[in-house]
Amino acid sequence: MKRVVITGRGVVSPFGSNLTSLMDGLEKSKSAVLRMPGWEEYKGLNSLVGAPAELKGENAFPRKIRRSMGRLSVFAALAAKQAAEESKIEEGLLKSRRLGCIMGSTMGSAEAMNEAFEIMLPNHDLSQLSSMGFFKCVSHTAAMNVAQALGVRGYVMATSAACASSLQALGLGYELIRSGRQDVLLCGGAEELHPIVTGIFEILFATSTHFNDNAWLTPRPFDARRDGLVCGEGAGVLVLEDYEHARQRGADIYGEIAGYSTCASGTHLSESSREGMRACMDNAIQDSGLKPEQVDYISAHATATIQGDQAEAEAIRDIFGDRVPVSGMKGYIGHTLGASGAIELAASLEMMSRGIIYPTLNLEDVDASCSGIAHVQTPLEKEIKVVVKNSFAFGGINTVLVCKKLDAY
Amino acid sequence: MDEVEIKKRVDEVFVEAFEIEPARLTSEMRIFEDLGIDSLDIVDLVVALQKKFKIQIRDDERVRKIRTLGDIYNFILTLKNETHFSEA
Repeated sequence: MKRVVITGRGVVSPFGSNLTSLMDGLEKSKSAVLRMPGWEEYKGLNSLVGAPAELKGENAFPRKIRRSMGRLSVFAALAAKQAAEESKIEEGLLKSRRLGCIMGSTMGSAEAMNEAFEIMLPNHDLSQLSSMGFFKCVSHTAAMNVAQALGVRGYVMATSAACASSLQALGLGYELIRSGRQDVLLCGGAEELHPIVTGIFEILFATSTHFNDNAWLTPRPFDARRDGLVCGEGAGVLVLEDYEHARQRGADIYGEIAGYSTCASGTHLSESSREGMRACMDNAIQDSGLKPEQVDYISAHATATIQGDQAEAEAIRDIFGDRVPVSGMKGYIGHTLGASGAIELAASLEMMSRGIIYPTLNLEDVDASCSGIAHVQTPLEKEIKVVVKNSFAFGGINTVLVCKKLDAY
Repeated sequence: MDEVEIKKRVDEVFVEAFEIEPARLTSEMRIFEDLGIDSLDIVDLVVALQKKFKIQIRDDERVRKIRTLGDIYNFILTLKNETHFSEA
């Protein structure tokens, strides 16, 4: 089995179009959550908050590349370009059959779907639809557009498992490089903010509805006053690479993927499963060959739903007790859904490099149901050798990735 | 709507939808080879012309014979003469 390392990172988040702006937001305890203008026009939508990212920089791509991109694909392509540039991937490697991309999202562009239906439905008229609707709306829109934008010619795959999409992309990339199928893979995910997306969660009573007038106070992961998730948007892409390949070309290495697991809970579509989450963390740690006591930081999924946070806290407590610091990032940038695993892993790797754990924003009063684990509520300086990243999705899908500092163990 | 107005509106479509510089929009330009329009763009060209001139041309066989920008001007002019379509 080959070793798999991370040699590049690209992020578009509600804090800006790079990893530096994301880390700056975390360091300064900023909230990117806003009351969304115009959302009050939607009947039945009581969650009027979101964490928007600025759409800019798409003109870096020529029209024929840009024309097929909805909002989420622009984010994905920009993050992929950043990651490839940070990794110093030369043109020959970028266009070789040994480099591929795996990108996930919950679905295609919500904005493009909405636009298509608005054009078509009033008169049930298909004749005014653009040829680009298909390319913006399909589930593999991020993977396809990243491949087109960068000229990728190797393995291409779209993972689609809602909030676990990008962590599944990273996990699949890890497995493909580990087994020698590819040398380099650009892996991650993207998502866009739209009233339709927030509305889907609202229907399931999973959104935050009590902080429309003081949006910066929500979401509140693990907090007693948490009342649901807040959608965000953006993209995260990491360059995964065969360790020997990375060394031969002198690439900088930001961490090593040590273990991975994805599994179904097999119990309920939307109710979180403590057992499923615990099994997934157990499997990933076992895959890494490490022991739970060697883990230094857990980057929780922690969306701030009543039940999800409780199940995750219980699963963490079952394995780690209160020994391992835990924090989540959704208080800062909302839930970037299909992008969240990759964005939050990129930030966790940077925390590993800086030796600091940023706290869970808006966690003021730990809810009794989420107690018994080591919540980080103020910045914590600590050497981090091993990080566990959790992503859990509706549909009963659990995903956990274990990363370590190069040569830590 | 006269020939000058038709040309102006067709040119607007190429500038707005396909980001082509106005100076390049002359009658003899071949839409595929010279202007870089491809098979997907053709779908959007038809949609944009339909919208601009409030016409329905998607199923008109004559669209398939269009090669140059001048062909488009003439096609729209022919349609105008046939149907006296809206001045809007």
